[in-house]
Amino acid sequence: MLSCAEFLAEFGDYLDGAAGPELRAKLEAHLHECKACQVIVDSTRKTIRIVTDSDSFTLPADKVEPIVTDVMARIRQKKL
Amino acid sequence: MGAMPSAGNAASPAHSASVEPYAFVARVFAAQQALPKAIQAEQRLIEAIAAQEGGLSRRHKDRLFRTVASAWGHDCRRVTEPDTSCDESRNDSALLAFAQKLARYALLVSKHEVEALQRAGFDDREILEAVQTIALGQMLCTLANALCPDDERQPGSEIASAPSSFAANVEYTETPGPYLQTRAFTGSPTYPLFRQQFGFVPNVFADQILRPDVVEAEAEVLQQVLIGEDVLTRIQKENILLAISAANASTYFVAVHGQILTVLGVSTEDSDQVVQGEYPPTMPAADVALLKEIRKLALPAAVSPGKFDPGALQAHGFTEVQIVEAVTMAALTNFLNTLQFGLGATPDFPPRRIFHPKDLHRSAAPSRLTFDETQPEDADVPVVERVQNGDRDAFEDLVRRHSRRVFSTLAGILGSTDDARDATQEVFLKAFENISKFEGRSKFSTWLISVAINTGTDLLRQRRPSESLDEVADDEGFRPRQIQSWAENPEQLLAASERTDLVREAVLRLPPKYRTAVLLRDINQLSTDEAAAALGLSIPALKARLLRGRLMLRESLAPHFIRSGNRSFNAQLR
Repeated sequence: MLSCAEFLAEFGDYLDGAAGPELRAKLEAHLHECKACQVIVDSTRKTIRIVTDSDSFTLPADKVEPIVTDVMARIRQKKL
Repeated sequence: MGAMPSAGNAASPAHSASVEPYAFVARVFAAQQALPKAIQAEQRLIEAIAAQEGGLSRRHKDRLFRTVASAWGHDCRRVTEPDTSCDESRNDSALLAFAQKLARYALLVSKHEVEALQRAGFDDREILEAVQTIALGQMLCTLANALCPDDERQPGSEIASAPSSFAANVEYTETPGPYLQTRAFTGSPTYPLFRQQFGFVPNVFADQILRPDVVEAEAEVLQQVLIGEDVLTRIQKENILLAISAANASTYFVAVHGQILTVLGVSTEDSDQVVQGEYPPTMPAADVALLKEIRKLALPAAVSPGKFDPGALQAHGFTEVQIVEAVTMAALTNFLNTLQFGLGATPDFPPRRIFHPKDLHRSAAPSRLTFDETQPEDADVPVVERVQNGDRDAFEDLVRRHSRRVFSTLAGILGSTDDARDATQEVFLKAFENISKFEGRSKFSTWLISVAINTGTDLLRQRRPSESLDEVADDEGFRPRQIQSWAENPEQLLAASERTDLVREAVLRLPPKYRTAVLLRDINQLSTDEAAAALGLSIPALKARLLRGRLMLRESLAPHFIRSGNRSFNAQLR
């Protein structure tokens, strides 16, 4: 049986659904017995969801065109 | 369709004559009287595709229409010209074989079928017209199926949905598109609608360059029925386009409409659920009913979950005009999906999911997500090559496509949106100056993000010399401290703007080497391979940084999302 430290070192692929069958079985065996790691997996998944869905670093739609215009103006000024 | 208006002839004789095998067209238009813009849009496509004399003869087009109708179980009325269904001419048999495959098993069409047509003497313009005609047929048959369900259907016939073993019986070889000559022309039309709506011309339209007049008509149709929110909302319409494209297993259009929904503020998790034929718990029950019903109008190759029932939508409060618009969107989706399958247009965005023939069957396992397993074809390469060959204007497409991702990477590194905007310009200028060095060993977008990372890091070093991506914090010794269970739906505990600020602050507090991993994977949605390549890391190193970054973020966010009261659980690590 994995310790919590071993579980926490290994569960990245599990979060992304990329763990192989053997690793997955080991991690799930630990999870079955460990409420603390269940809480960490659940809250990390929710963290990823919240971060992924947030617009914290999103370029507003009306700011795209000024960037395109400025970049292309500077490129067209360049000598070949 | 019981609640729809009684039949009457809303089609002009010209429109009916152009699609003579489809006597149902007049009744379809009558059933759409509540939504005149839909009738106008369909008439515009009929004019451009069926009425215009182009390379393909009228007789060929009629036979294509009948082939499509047969796939939908419609018994077309005979045209005045004798039906030469036993025509032994080589040309006709090749064309009909192509039409049957595209009408019934669109996903299975490959370059081989197009080459067979070329060998049979059809030129690229004629083949394009054949694809457009078949796509128009699919659209009109979808409308007839939903709005005039009992018209001219062969007694006892249901839509010719594919038998479960069909994939084993129909030849399929995956081949890269596009299948016809495309974009090799100078002075091509600019298609302002596409540039305004998408920032570039999507490949499925660019690939129809041999009939720009039809593309203009398609643009007008999108303008009339997709843009605007006077009946259904844009999100409802995009969800219909996404759901039907997923049922049709269209990798291309699932990528397009998933991307548009993201821009409209729908989470990728929610749109992924729609793709899977599941529905987000937060989606209103009426919208779920709408998508479930409308999915039944997918192309014949999709295994339909039943017969479309407008009464089920009326029971959820949808009005007649809303139902007509939803059906029109379904028909438009089938039109666009068929065009893409027939032309082999390559995705404009990295596909969120790559579909295979087995995905046409609901019982089959879900197709794989693209995360780490595949390297989709790089849709930027043709544009990059044009720039490398001296077409500097082509660079504009690349700026539009990637400015958001470059900006968000830089905003996450630099913290200031003003600095990030300036740096975004610098990144594109550097990319342009160095584009000759791009050799296609990675995707262009990955290469561009690595330029953004390097630019952002350099600026950060100038500002805070002590901070670099590699400093800080050994990887040992991190141990979660917050081990209280979170609320079931933590998003509901804070307003969207509060969550945005909270996430921004938490991400910016991360040490840079963890922050960049989170930025690329969780915010910019790069695959593990792409993120590792952009950061110049091994995959295990990237994964370790990502996991640490996610756990640190979890620690920062936890105080805001812990379940309140007695339902909270506080556990101990062992």
